Amino acid sequence: MTKLKPKKSAVSHRLLVLIFASMTIFLQPLSAADKNSWRIVNYWSEWCAPCRVEIPMFNELSPRLAKSNVIIVGVNFDEDPRDLTLKIADDMGIEFQTLSQQELDLLGLKPPDVLPTTYLLSPANEVMAKLIGMQSEQDIIDALTRQGLTLLNQ
Amino acid sequence: MKKPINIPIVALFVTLFAWSFGVTSGATAQSQLQNLPSPAPSNSSLSRVVANESGEIYLSWVSQDAGQATLAYSRLSSEGWNTPKVISQGSDWFVNWADFPVLSVDSSGMVAHWLQTSAQGTYDYDIRARFYSRNSQAWTNPKTVHTDGISAEHGFVSMLPLDDGTTLITWLDGRETKRGDTPGAMTLRAGVFDKAGTVVKEWELDHRVCDCCQTSSAMTEKGPIVVYRDRTAQEVRDIFTTHLIDGVWTSPKPIHNDNWQIAGCPVNGPSVAAKNNRVAVAWFSAKDDTPKVQLVMSNDNGLSFSEPLVVETPNTNGRVGTAILDSGSIVVSWIDTTNAARIMLSRYDTNGKFLGHTEVARSSESRRSGFPIIEAVGNSVFITWTDISSVPQVKVARIDY
Repeated sequence: MTKLKPKKSAVSHRLLVLIFASMTIFLQPLSAADKNSWRIVNYWSEWCAPCRVEIPMFNELSPRLAKSNVIIVGVNFDEDPRDLTLKIADDMGIEFQTLSQQELDLLGLKPPDVLPTTYLLSPANEVMAKLIGMQSEQDIIDALTRQGLTLLNQ
Repeated sequence: MKKPINIPIVALFVTLFAWSFGVTSGATAQSQLQNLPSPAPSNSSLSRVVANESGEIYLSWVSQDAGQATLAYSRLSSEGWNTPKVISQGSDWFVNWADFPVLSVDSSGMVAHWLQTSAQGTYDYDIRARFYSRNSQAWTNPKTVHTDGISAEHGFVSMLPLDDGTTLITWLDGRETKRGDTPGAMTLRAGVFDKAGTVVKEWELDHRVCDCCQTSSAMTEKGPIVVYRDRTAQEVRDIFTTHLIDGVWTSPKPIHNDNWQIAGCPVNGPSVAAKNNRVAVAWFSAKDDTPKVQLVMSNDNGLSFSEPLVVETPNTNGRVGTAILDSGSIVVSWIDTTNAARIMLSRYDTNGKFLGHTEVARSSESRRSGFPIIEAVGNSVFITWTDISSVPQVKVARIDY
């Protein structure tokens, strides 16, 4: 019995490591580059008129901000199934990444009270700004500037 | 040696015992909660509970299966829920957690609506309704409530049976948003419909309202009252009310100046209840990003209101309901987000004195949990909600005060 104890313990440790590694892989959808990036998280819904108005602005801003290590991602406020969410995003002409529920869970954001709402997250996933309601491009640039970010090729 | 009583453990035991029976106590009053068996199937949601003049309870819901949505209802009798009956089915519905079917019942019949997508526009949908007459014992064919013929957003319906067997239907109407080069705002409209589904009268009640909040209506001694979220040119989105008195709608006015200014959609409409000359309105706001559920009361049919009582702040995401008991007490339903979300009822006496909270059920901040709906019968409140802890299913409970 005493001989089995360390073996059992080793198995348990290996099992724990395996579970942890699996969870890490499963819950780590963001790339390594993302870990150093600021994130703009835009909550939208298909029925939200001001959401639809600001989405072209985010589409246009997305590739520009990427040069400054700022990533724009979207969240379907309605929590539709993933395939439906992606179809809606496509129908709405959203050209930036739409987060899955698992990806959203990692960010630990509280669902907003108003649509649209846009969060600015630091690379450490801290909420640095919460922008409630429809935003203009200048609103977004101003929010980034207030965090001391210098934007390239504006 | 006799062990001393462990007070904390005894207190915990008593609390758990009370909780197991669904009994919670407020400062001065108690309630008894009874979970009723649900007539709704798995994969059901978007439920509403409504009573007719006799106090008979009806439950409606939407179930979804293989891309098809079904609107059904059941009546609660002394033997339990009657066999559910289907009102309508479709594969082209706009099924939404915040904007969902209403069932209205009175002694002469029923009216129910659902939202059907328009062919011409991706985000456009029509309000379709069927009308049931007890005389003919039949539902009409589906009718479109609004007569604009414009492919736009139409929804957030409330219904109110009128004494002559007609029904007042209120809705948000996006026809002005599709007007030429200078589109207008979402409007609030209302119409009176007979049991054949024919519009008897129709009005525009407000030319500029919030796009995505529920409307609510109730009957006072002076006539119908409608509450909704307004939208000013400066994007202030406070709660407004208008009355139909002697056939004329009063000018919309705020029930309170929250001055909540946002260029966005709160998706959190107000709820009104009325009994005789008494009116209660509960609503959600989040000025300065501080969520708040408030309640105002009126003793003059809603022509004037008390200063607001704060039901909860800041640990709430709203989703309110309002009911008035025969005792005169007012009950407000709301979502508590302190830890895991909970569906709560808060009760106030006729003077606005707080009488106690009742926790109805654990819930979720998720949109899929929808909006709890309450209805008063006598000194009881019936409440329905969607449990999403596993496969979504409509739940219903009764709370006796």
